Amino acid sequence: MTDCEKARAELEEYLHNELGAEDAAMVAQHLAECEDCRSEHRLGAALTEAVRRACRERAPEELRALVLTHIRSVEATQAV
Amino acid sequence: MAFTLEAARLDWRTMDDVTGDDTRPDADAAIQPAADDRSHGSEHGDVRDVFESQAMPFMDQLYAAAMRMSRNPADAADLVQDTYAKAFAAFGSFKQGTNLKAWLYRILTNTYINAYRKRQRDPYQGSIDELEEWQVGSAESATSSSSRSAEAEAIDRMPAGAVKDALQSIPDDFRIAVYLADVEGFSYQEIAEMMKTPTGTVMSRLHRGRRMLRERLADYAAERGIGRTGSPK
Repeated sequence: MTDCEKARAELEEYLHNELGAEDAAMVAQHLAECEDCRSEHRLGAALTEAVRRACRERAPEELRALVLTHIRSVEATQAV
Repeated sequence: MAFTLEAARLDWRTMDDVTGDDTRPDADAAIQPAADDRSHGSEHGDVRDVFESQAMPFMDQLYAAAMRMSRNPADAADLVQDTYAKAFAAFGSFKQGTNLKAWLYRILTNTYINAYRKRQRDPYQGSIDELEEWQVGSAESATSSSSRSAEAEAIDRMPAGAVKDALQSIPDDFRIAVYLADVEGFSYQEIAEMMKTPTGTVMSRLHRGRRMLRERLADYAAERGIGRTGSPK
């Protein structure tokens, strides 16, 4: 397996911090030397960032109130 | 056993010593109500206070995850309510000092998989891990580093709505794995426990899910003329 093939196979784990220190260092080293793999990594990172950015939500206030009401009512029932 | 936080903490520490490395409460066990241990009103209030101060701050995040799982606000709200109800009932089995966020996500993910998705229509349901490569899509759409850079730039500029639509369009198990890894940053091991599946399956779902996502976004960009040189159509 070439350096590129090996790096490509591990890029996703590298992106998700799943590689051990030694493997991660090898991928980082390869990325520093190879523009092709670097662009693939940059694409993967862009995807993660886009999903992260798009998925921010704020829970509706009514939901917060409903959950608190439930927790307190369970307590009230059980305390009897 | 009278339920007090102190007693519970001691139990957990003892369990730590006994069980060694596997200190996480099992999600199924965690969902069993521990409420019958709670007999005294005042202690009860303390547990509630601790639960509220520790678990309630995760509501926005849990709601965001529930929205991506169930794909509609009404189910997402129900799912979050169910999750908090189960978490509160099982809070006695949560080990203080361990990862509360991961514990809550286990309950959320389990509740979704076991109860909610049964009532949703998903054409891929059941056989998703067996999809053939050709059904998932081609391996890499961009072949040169310059076209990859253009693709990355298009993704950077992609509106949130388009990213959410793309995410909604990929099969359940892939979408959940991508969400838990990319948005929440859970480890593959943690995701495997949440989805009750081997780590290898998590890796494969992530890989295929991200690839599908990338293709959907590339299609979107192509339709809108984003990331292309030359004049838009």
